[in-house]
Amino acid sequence: MVSKMTKIVNPMGMHMRPAGMFAQEMMKFNSDVMLVFNDKEINAKSIMNLMAACLKCGSELEVRCNGADEEAALNKAIELIESGLGE
Amino acid sequence: MLKGTGASAGVGIGHALVVKEQVLDFSGVKFSGEAEEKQRLSAAAEQVSERLQAMATSMTEKVGAHAAEILSGQIMMLSDPFMMGQMEEQIAAGNTAEAAVDTVCQSFIAMFRSMEDEMMRQRATDIGDLRARLLKQLMGLDDIDLAQVPAGTVIIAKDFTPSMTVGISRENVVGIITEIGGRTSHSAILARALEIPAVLGIEGVADTIQNGDAIAMDGELGHVYVNPDERTLGDYKKRQEEFEQQRQMLKAYLNQPTVNADGTKVALYANIGKPEDAQAALEKGAEGIGLFRTEFLFMDRDSLPSEEEQMNAYRQVSALFAGKEVIIRTLDVGGDKEIPYLNMKKEENPFLGHRAIRYCLDTPETYMVQLRALLRAGADHKNIKIMLPLVTGLEEIRAAKAMLEKAKKELAAEGLPFDADAEVGIMIETPAASQIADLLAQEAAFFSIGTNDLTQYTLAVDRGNPDVAPLYTHFHPAVLRSIRHVIHAARNAGIPVGMCGEAAADPALIPLLLAWGLDEFSVSASAVLATRRTISLWSAQEADDVQAEAMALSSVKGIQGYLNSMIKK
Repeated sequence: MVSKMTKIVNPMGMHMRPAGMFAQEMMKFNSDVMLVFNDKEINAKSIMNLMAACLKCGSELEVRCNGADEEAALNKAIELIESGLGE
Repeated sequence: MLKGTGASAGVGIGHALVVKEQVLDFSGVKFSGEAEEKQRLSAAAEQVSERLQAMATSMTEKVGAHAAEILSGQIMMLSDPFMMGQMEEQIAAGNTAEAAVDTVCQSFIAMFRSMEDEMMRQRATDIGDLRARLLKQLMGLDDIDLAQVPAGTVIIAKDFTPSMTVGISRENVVGIITEIGGRTSHSAILARALEIPAVLGIEGVADTIQNGDAIAMDGELGHVYVNPDERTLGDYKKRQEEFEQQRQMLKAYLNQPTVNADGTKVALYANIGKPEDAQAALEKGAEGIGLFRTEFLFMDRDSLPSEEEQMNAYRQVSALFAGKEVIIRTLDVGGDKEIPYLNMKKEENPFLGHRAIRYCLDTPETYMVQLRALLRAGADHKNIKIMLPLVTGLEEIRAAKAMLEKAKKELAAEGLPFDADAEVGIMIETPAASQIADLLAQEAAFFSIGTNDLTQYTLAVDRGNPDVAPLYTHFHPAVLRSIRHVIHAARNAGIPVGMCGEAAADPALIPLLLAWGLDEFSVSASAVLATRRTISLWSAQEADDVQAEAMALSSVKGIQGYLNSMIKK
């Protein structure tokens, strides 16, 4: 498993549009992708889980990836989050 | 007359169609084995997904990609492994596909409804909509097809679900009235995109209005008449015609330069309050942002927004308006704008108190965060200008600029990118600033006249107090002389001068502003096209004649009457 800490930077946080985009991108990987926020585990491939987690701008979280393509998945996840999730 | 929230401007006249929610009773459905139920669920999900996809495509063509996002959200929910997994678990436990959809959707609806964030609470509507779609698909029920309603229909419903909005066409539906929803709800946004008048939030309307009732409604004022008398109907017909003419006429001014009748160009910008407003401003033809109020970032929360958060909000607008000016006003707190966690003292006289630039300079730890965020946000496009509110003296500009220089040093030392040449200008909204505009021009790179505060301070009138509100008017010769004085001072000093108060969009005042040489008009997004049109109707000579005549008059009544009579239709 690989993991890294990061922070949400887009002003509106993880609302529907960024959550949907993020989940879709993560589904392209075989690895399990989890976000850990406030001790809760969030399935990064689930738009509902992502929206329900109340990730706001400034929220600090950990990305954990586990599987064959875990390095690539982690890099992509971090890149998306830190570039503001397309916003 | 019924009154609700005017959510989409326009006048609608037609006959009511009350859309009742279909009863989705699946208690009679029998469990037909785990494999079979799972198969039914996945088939239904696939069919619903396909239909949503088709709707999204047609909606993107009709009203743009932004409106179709509600549907793409639902499509993504359908491919959500977590939600679909929960439904399959329900089936594995011996429930029908219908029951599984219902249980899982209801639990998500309850969860989203309890969220603090308004935008998240609205997701409950989307999930409810998705639930209904899946159940209907499973039970073989037809959707209510609003595309087939007769011409002249006014839709009456409890709530306007995204799926109902999709079937609607402007040809058939002339109005929308609902029991729930506000100006920022999806229904409102869609109704505006479709240019269908809408009045939302009238309690019990789906029960009080009957199928076939005659309806006359005003989507701007939020008024609804059921079976109106001849006079009201005649009045509404006339207004409908005027409104449509106006809308068509203004469309011609989209994507046109802002020039007077002689072809001389002036800048026409928009005022915005949130980064999301920037898109609408751009679509309405704004050539820049003349006033970006930053208070929104500080409101409705418990603590100060971080530098990153502020920077991202400013950068979003900067990127959207790349190559165009974005004037951002630093925090204008105090007066009537209270932010609880700042713990500002209760004041006897808040409008004359510790507000705006005064408060900011006295709380450098807060102000510094905003200044750093503004400098950093301009790093990519170099189009952000910083505007100080409520300036009364040169010292305030110097103090703010000194802080900016300090911020630049810090950022450079930290190796963070920023715009080192961001211009600093000021709002002219106090009589003091107006009087010494020539002095302030030594330090300010630009002026923007804030007519709302300038009028209230010049006339010593609180426009919120009904006893004196009638005295509040920008047609008072003191206000007009003040505006003229500021514009002339700016021109003498060779700095640009704009106006971001409501007066900038007043067709009665525009000839004066043009004659005096205002460089930039900044108005609300909805007023951009009308303002562009008004400007285009005046030649320099005509405008100058009108200003000379108006300024020779001495009473508010005389000036207002004269200027209103000169408005070009």
